[in-house]
Amino acid sequence: MTTNIPIKSDPNTDIACRTPDMEERSLLRKVIDRIADRCRSRSLFILHYCTGCGAIELPPVITSRFDSERLGIQPMVTPRQADILLITGYLSVKTLKRVILTYEQMSAPKYVIGMGSCTINGGMYWHSYATIKRLQEYMPVDMYIAGCMPRPEAIQQGFLQLIDNIDKGQAIAWQDYYYQYDKYLGNQQALFGPDWHTPTDVIAEARHYELFSENTIGEHTALLAKFASKYVTLQCEELVK
Amino acid sequence: MRPENYQPVEHPASHEYELYFGPNHPGIEGNYALKVRLTGDEIVGIKADGGYLHRGFEKIMEDRLWIQNVALVPRICVPDPPPMEETYARAVEMIGGLEVPERAQWIRAMILEMSRICGHLFIVGGTAATIGQYSNMFWGITDRDYLLDLFEALTGARIYHMFITPGGVRRDIPDGFLDKLSHILDYLEARLPEYDDLFFNNPVFHKRAEGIGVITQEQALAWGVTGPNLRACGLALDVRRDDPYLIYDQLAFDIPTETSGDVLARTMVRRSELIESIKILRQIVQRLPQIKGPIRCDLPNPLAWNLPEGDAYARTEAQKGELAFYAVSTGGSKPWRVHVRGPSSMHAVQVLEKLCLGGRIEDIALIMFSLDACPPEVDR
Repeated sequence: MTTNIPIKSDPNTDIACRTPDMEERSLLRKVIDRIADRCRSRSLFILHYCTGCGAIELPPVITSRFDSERLGIQPMVTPRQADILLITGYLSVKTLKRVILTYEQMSAPKYVIGMGSCTINGGMYWHSYATIKRLQEYMPVDMYIAGCMPRPEAIQQGFLQLIDNIDKGQAIAWQDYYYQYDKYLGNQQALFGPDWHTPTDVIAEARHYELFSENTIGEHTALLAKFASKYVTLQCEELVK
Repeated sequence: MRPENYQPVEHPASHEYELYFGPNHPGIEGNYALKVRLTGDEIVGIKADGGYLHRGFEKIMEDRLWIQNVALVPRICVPDPPPMEETYARAVEMIGGLEVPERAQWIRAMILEMSRICGHLFIVGGTAATIGQYSNMFWGITDRDYLLDLFEALTGARIYHMFITPGGVRRDIPDGFLDKLSHILDYLEARLPEYDDLFFNNPVFHKRAEGIGVITQEQALAWGVTGPNLRACGLALDVRRDDPYLIYDQLAFDIPTETSGDVLARTMVRRSELIESIKILRQIVQRLPQIKGPIRCDLPNPLAWNLPEGDAYARTEAQKGELAFYAVSTGGSKPWRVHVRGPSSMHAVQVLEKLCLGGRIEDIALIMFSLDACPPEVDR
């Protein structure tokens, strides 16, 4: 049965319909965010995507010897349900495309850990023609774990630090992807070509999360109108600042 | 995941569909992908899609000094790095005409066999995990960690040791190391009946694995299958026996074989090789203290080390199969060309494609893990 009875309400007297003013809303949001951050930090899922050699130290970390499950961290197979994108080592250009697609599929808040020296400055493969050198040019990174390879204890320590950062509300690198989308997209286009795009409408998401800034759109997002017009909601003239 | 440059195509009505198996998939070993065409759950077409881990090793190595490449080569194959170091070091020794002291040869053989046990525990656990038996995976990884602790005591690193250098090894074994090793070997031997009960004699595993992914002897030889996968077809071919390197001709060990060539046979060969490796390590523990002498021959200044002109082909029985390095020197301080013949590039591409054809979708992961393909080494 569908009910089409119009509900009468007076916004000034009905509490449920009252829109809180800006100050009150931001206070409410702070309180809710604080509770949510505390809850989030207790239960994190790593995306089960082993991108490089660091993946060999993950099984010891998640199985019985080091057992990251006591920190509330478990592997998860789908990006939509995962919280942490663990980049385990070097990324070839072909993998980076998949990693960016995966990163954009993950729902916010999402955290990126760059594990191993290769994600920091290229590591052993600093002059390889096939790998990228600095991960943070292509996506915001919350934390790096140095070493080749990092020991399981180092990975655990990294997880503990990330949990601490999430709890304090400091792990907000994912917001940077929306604030600075034009910069990240520019770096990606420099690598993959001007027609590079993903099926995700990041600009619309930035508006949805209220993370739209003047750097979200720019000269690089303007190319999206040309090559990815079916994915972006903004019109051509709006995509250029 | 949507592939790059994806364009939806209108197909005529059909029962076939295409599935992208990997790279972000728990059923695939490492960062590797397969494009599978299916009817229901039956595989009618399969195409391997590698290159996700390509780092251009063979090109990078031409830019580095002979001694610098020692740090680079173990990264080719992540679960089983020491054979890479050994093979590269041996190729360099063959070009340079270096004599490896006997004590260093014994230490090298010890490291290679320890690494073989590590790799087998890892991959047997992985094979069990693909059919849902996660306890065995947990056990395998935990028992492997005992050996990694030994590696750490010996070399200072858990995974990438960079311990075998041209001309010998970096350090002598620490005090009490052989006692620890023989203690771990006792422990592993005591654990084997438990593994048998849980996994190797498990009727669930036998029903899943029997007759899946069968390779015949002719196919194995034609496709370039090596290592435990070849011995599972009934061919007792092993580089340690056929072309002995280091001190393997002084050791007594069997070459286990099975006849059926399916997933079960390959797993059982690995189980027998665990026992053989333990046997070899026991002999080494017994004889290593009597062998005195230096652990490294004299090297020139490694930063100004020009090898004489020449080329060399060195091969090793790695945990995954036959591994070979072909190095060419033009008399400079850097290699002119180094080619790596890895076992996994045959197993993961041409063999996997042919074995999966006609099979079912749930067997892809099982076949891939039973072939013990290592994607970092496929792509290099």
